[in-house]
Amino acid sequence: MITVYSTTFCPYCKMAKEYLTQKGVPFKDINVQEDDQAAADMIRKSGQMGVPVLDINNTIIVGFDRAAIDEALASDK
Amino acid sequence: MYDLIIIGGGPAGVGAGIYASRKRIKTLLLTDTFGGQSINSALIENFVGFEKISGFDFAQTLEKHLRTQDHIDVVTGALAQAIQKTPQGFVVTDQAGKTYETHTVLVTVGSSYRKLDVPGEAQFEGKGVFYCSICDAPLMKGKEAAVIGGGNSGLEAVIDLLPYATKIYVLNRSDVLKGDPVYQERIAKESKVQILMHTAPESFAGSQFLESIAWKNTQTGETGFLPVSGAFVEIGYIPNTSLVQDVVTLNERKQIVVDHKTQQTSCPGIWAAGDGTDALYHQINTAMGDGVKAVLNIYEYLNKVQ
Repeated sequence: MITVYSTTFCPYCKMAKEYLTQKGVPFKDINVQEDDQAAADMIRKSGQMGVPVLDINNTIIVGFDRAAIDEALASDK
Repeated sequence: MYDLIIIGGGPAGVGAGIYASRKRIKTLLLTDTFGGQSINSALIENFVGFEKISGFDFAQTLEKHLRTQDHIDVVTGALAQAIQKTPQGFVVTDQAGKTYETHTVLVTVGSSYRKLDVPGEAQFEGKGVFYCSICDAPLMKGKEAAVIGGGNSGLEAVIDLLPYATKIYVLNRSDVLKGDPVYQERIAKESKVQILMHTAPESFAGSQFLESIAWKNTQTGETGFLPVSGAFVEIGYIPNTSLVQDVVTLNERKQIVVDHKTQQTSCPGIWAAGDGTDALYHQINTAMGDGVKAVLNIYEYLNKVQ
């Protein structure tokens, strides 16, 4: 299960989501500015407040980091 | 072997790429992403021809226009790591170790946000200390926040915070806000914005997350604390020029010194344009123009040597 925690206008969130889409990887997109509980979950999981946060099967990635995303997806297969 | 490698996909690089393709210069554009620093802008209102465009849409517009060009190779997700001089020209190496040969190079590497370098800044990065207000301002819902810096980026951060934060302090080092009057007028109406002149942050403190900023008045020496959950650092930019520091002359601000008529650097065969250069003004519109100037000059140069 892959979740992307994002805010509405965050460019790095959009890039991360586009990157996953390009790779054909399904993900759940959660907008933390519209969902306070999701924001709290994201902060608890990542230990910080910045977006985007990606949860790739419990591997937490903060920010848009192609190499980290590739690694997490590869180790998941 | 390419005739030209453009390093960077911001306004200068893309402007140059479009002109290079139309001039049929055998060109490669290497970039991590498109748009450069402009993607961090919620709304660009001074890019000529567009009344309003978000930074992200602007970046996509640039990429789309570049990709309509037939005579240019584009490699994304690639950060150039080294430029080496060879007898024929240059070898550019990217971070994956891939090498590309070229006769000429146009460096449009732009700049990155500057950090304050005060105690607690690194510890609380992402935990209250932020550099992307459009990204992280929504996390300040119902909280008090501070913006460090009163230039355009600082005042844009205030505007990004207005819908969320309950109180916004602006810490401004001098006695005058450098941001455009259009932004100053917009925030002057907001009672929750408090501007502290002659005020510099000394340190950030908290437990897991940021809880306060210690500040000092740079004129009177007076000190104090602001209880805030967020601090958005917007104190300008540093040029991303470490890539070329051994190849071309940089000034004391680490900007690439160029001839402002041609955009040539101190190293024959290398040109530069945009925020990474010693141009007096750093704007999207001027960066594009400088990128175009560089390519027209590179075209003349290639015609002479070939």
